[in-house]
Amino acid sequence: MALAMMEIGETREIKSFHGKEEVKRRLQDLGFVKGEYVQVIGENPSGLILLVKGVRIALNRGLASQIIVA
Amino acid sequence: MSYTIALAGNPNCGKTTLFNELTGSRQRVGNWPGVTVDKKEGICKKDKELHITDLPGTYSLSPYSAEEIIARDYLVKEKPDAVIDIVDGTSIERNLYLTLQILETGVPTVIALNMMDEVEARGDEIKAEKLSRILDVPVVPITARSGKGIGELLAQAAETARGKKTPQKLLVFDEKLQRVIDEVEKELESSGESDSAWKAVKLLENDENIAAGISEELKNRIRKIIGKAYGSNEDPEAIIADQRYRYIAKVVKDTVKKSAAGHIETKSDKLDKILTNRILALPVFACIMYLLFACTNSENFLFLGIPSPGIWLAGLVESVWGGLTGVIEGLLGNASPWVYSLVIDGIMAGLGSILGFIPLVLVLYLLISFLEDCGYMARIAFVLDRIFRRFGLSGRSFIPLLQGFGCSVPAVMATRTLESEKDRKITAILAGFMPCGAKLPIFALFVSTLFADSNQTLVTYSVYIFSIVTAILVSLLLNKFVYKDGASNFIMELPQYRVPTLKSVFIHGWEKVKGFAVKAGTVIFVSTVLIWFLSGFNLDSFNGKNAAENEDGSIMCEMNDSFMASVGNVIAPVFKPLGFGEWRPAVGVVTGWIAKENVVVTFAQLYEEDVTEEYLEEYFSRFTSEELEELGFEGGAYDSEAAGDIYSESVLFEGGDENALPHMKDDIKTKAAAYAYMVFNLLCMPCFAAVGAMKRELKTWKETGKAVGIQMATAYAAALLVNVVGGLFL
Ligand SMILES: Nc1nc2c(ncn2[C@@H]2O[C@H](COP(=O)(O)OP(=O)(O)OP(=O)(O)O)[C@@H](O)[C@H]2O)c(=O)[nH]1
Ligand SMILES: [Mg+2]
Repeated sequence: MALAMMEIGETREIKSFHGKEEVKRRLQDLGFVKGEYVQVIGENPSGLILLVKGVRIALNRGLASQIIVA
Repeated sequence: MSYTIALAGNPNCGKTTLFNELTGSRQRVGNWPGVTVDKKEGICKKDKELHITDLPGTYSLSPYSAEEIIARDYLVKEKPDAVIDIVDGTSIERNLYLTLQILETGVPTVIALNMMDEVEARGDEIKAEKLSRILDVPVVPITARSGKGIGELLAQAAETARGKKTPQKLLVFDEKLQRVIDEVEKELESSGESDSAWKAVKLLENDENIAAGISEELKNRIRKIIGKAYGSNEDPEAIIADQRYRYIAKVVKDTVKKSAAGHIETKSDKLDKILTNRILALPVFACIMYLLFACTNSENFLFLGIPSPGIWLAGLVESVWGGLTGVIEGLLGNASPWVYSLVIDGIMAGLGSILGFIPLVLVLYLLISFLEDCGYMARIAFVLDRIFRRFGLSGRSFIPLLQGFGCSVPAVMATRTLESEKDRKITAILAGFMPCGAKLPIFALFVSTLFADSNQTLVTYSVYIFSIVTAILVSLLLNKFVYKDGASNFIMELPQYRVPTLKSVFIHGWEKVKGFAVKAGTVIFVSTVLIWFLSGFNLDSFNGKNAAENEDGSIMCEMNDSFMASVGNVIAPVFKPLGFGEWRPAVGVVTGWIAKENVVVTFAQLYEEDVTEEYLEEYFSRFTSEELEELGFEGGAYDSEAAGDIYSESVLFEGGDENALPHMKDDIKTKAAAYAYMVFNLLCMPCFAAVGAMKRELKTWKETGKAVGIQMATAYAAALLVNVVGGLFL
């Protein structure tokens, strides 16, 4: 499912990313790699606040729906 | 012999804090990623041989936005003698990702483990020695903010730079990947490429920048090597990232002892529950912005009936300046008329007209600094993202725009951190619309002179709102017709909330005041003298005609015959439809392009004429006889003898009116025209310094010209609208 569908408090594993190459690289630089676990710690109309490798990262919803988790 | 040492690291890891500590400079520090957007050099205080370079933060050596390119290019092209890689100890895993890439380049490196105070407060432990042994570079724990550990760091860095100790290659990648990398490296080497080891990895990572630098033929050979090892469904780039993170995970497991497994809720998380809450976030933001302006510019602070801190301080400065003018006037008693005119009417009146606003700007600036230092900026950028997206921008654009309330120059520079070119261009234009500190005096002058009988605070706020609404509309139009391009994403790290240090607040305030003093002493000072000269002289000053005509033999002329009037009269007709087609306001617009403070400086000099009897009569005619009695006219009847004294005393009661320049009314006759004038100066081309910054960000003069053209057109259209529509109501 898409990361954008996750609920607050949920933790899931990243499977893949469907989007532009350079955005994918940026996400990798920030720790979004296949097999990594992300936790949703906040949510508002703009998007989600995620915890990846102990760092808080905010993503807009459009981008979060391009990340597939399991 | 001097050595260059670069400070590199992730955004917001404390590079600039360390830079300031090492070099004694006062570069901008703020608690959000992307504060520093350019490299800055300084000389180390303790060891003058060491030249330190502060760099913008970057998450990897494959840059994503313009300021990251600067950091990468410096590291790999300019080749510093050593790099201090600053690692935020509280997010060591993510930070080491860049560290591995820096080590791959083979540059002599020292790791500074920063934020140790926070690491300790969490009860975590990082074994620096062990980390140093594994990575084969010195690792020094520091707390940049307090200076702890910096001596040791400096010693290590100096030794590394002098000894040119290149780090050993680490075994990060698995056998297969390493073999492919080695092959590519050999291929590069045989073609005479420098830095082949590092470039080999980057080519596997699909780095376009590096790929663009080598020949097509070589690229094909490399593609073949990669293609042989990895099938089309395998992605070497992802494999590299994965293996780096795996390696880091192992290292971290061996060297970091966490006090608790998993994520424990911190103070930042609790604050975020309110400040980024889906319902509360926007109302809280609105309150914060209201408070910001209430503290700065309000006669009735929070409805308490007292002036806001900004206004209160402004009053203080003005009375001191008034006293000083009095003293100088006394000293100049016997000086020749033109000296007196230059010093009192020119310099003292000109500078005095804006001096009183420094406290306002300072208070506003300190409050913005507080927001920047505490960690709220990144949050509000995120919260506003959804709204900004509707206007065709990303929430990140909020940061430059808010900075635009202080000054357009840093605001325009901050657009560099925006990832999409479209956002960068539009935001650079919009930044010029913001009511920067230098425009504040214009509004205050107009409000106190031409809106004296309106709710002055409300008029001032309405100008702020006007600027925001215009920015929104222009952004929508530009997105629709000029810069058509896809939407950008919002990806931003949210830092911990931190309590701003007194030191950093002090630095911000001091830098602002110093900056203003320098500006007042140079650009504005020269402008006042120029305005004084151009408005007091004409050709006849120098052929003896004026001297013969004037009773006192002065060579100065009537203002209406001056050089400035001649020039002003040429451009003035352009502004006729806007309601201010006279030479004085026209000249004000032009001098404002040198520095926006000049608008008020110009007005102060051009309208500083004696208060005549006719003027007094008109002024007092708006009061009833009871009011006149209250003001001091005996029996409530107007008395031209007493009027002068009563005027100079009474205007003080109207709050701020002592700044008023009554004669402005001669040229700007209606409120609609007055508002149009404010709007025009708000939106038109910013000062030349800001245009220079725009050129740097937009690269070409053509783009810059286009942007300024858009600003001018917006200003003209908006002012015209205000004058015409306002004329129907006001
Ligand atoms: N607690 C603590 N905070 C620190 C320390 N060093 C820096 N900070 C804070 O971290 C934040 C970021 O500091 P900067 O020096 O601006 O970071 P930077 O790496 O230059 O950031 P960019 O220019 O955006 O890349 C500021 O709020 C600093 O006050 C430290 O040792 N301890
Ligand atoms: Mg910095």
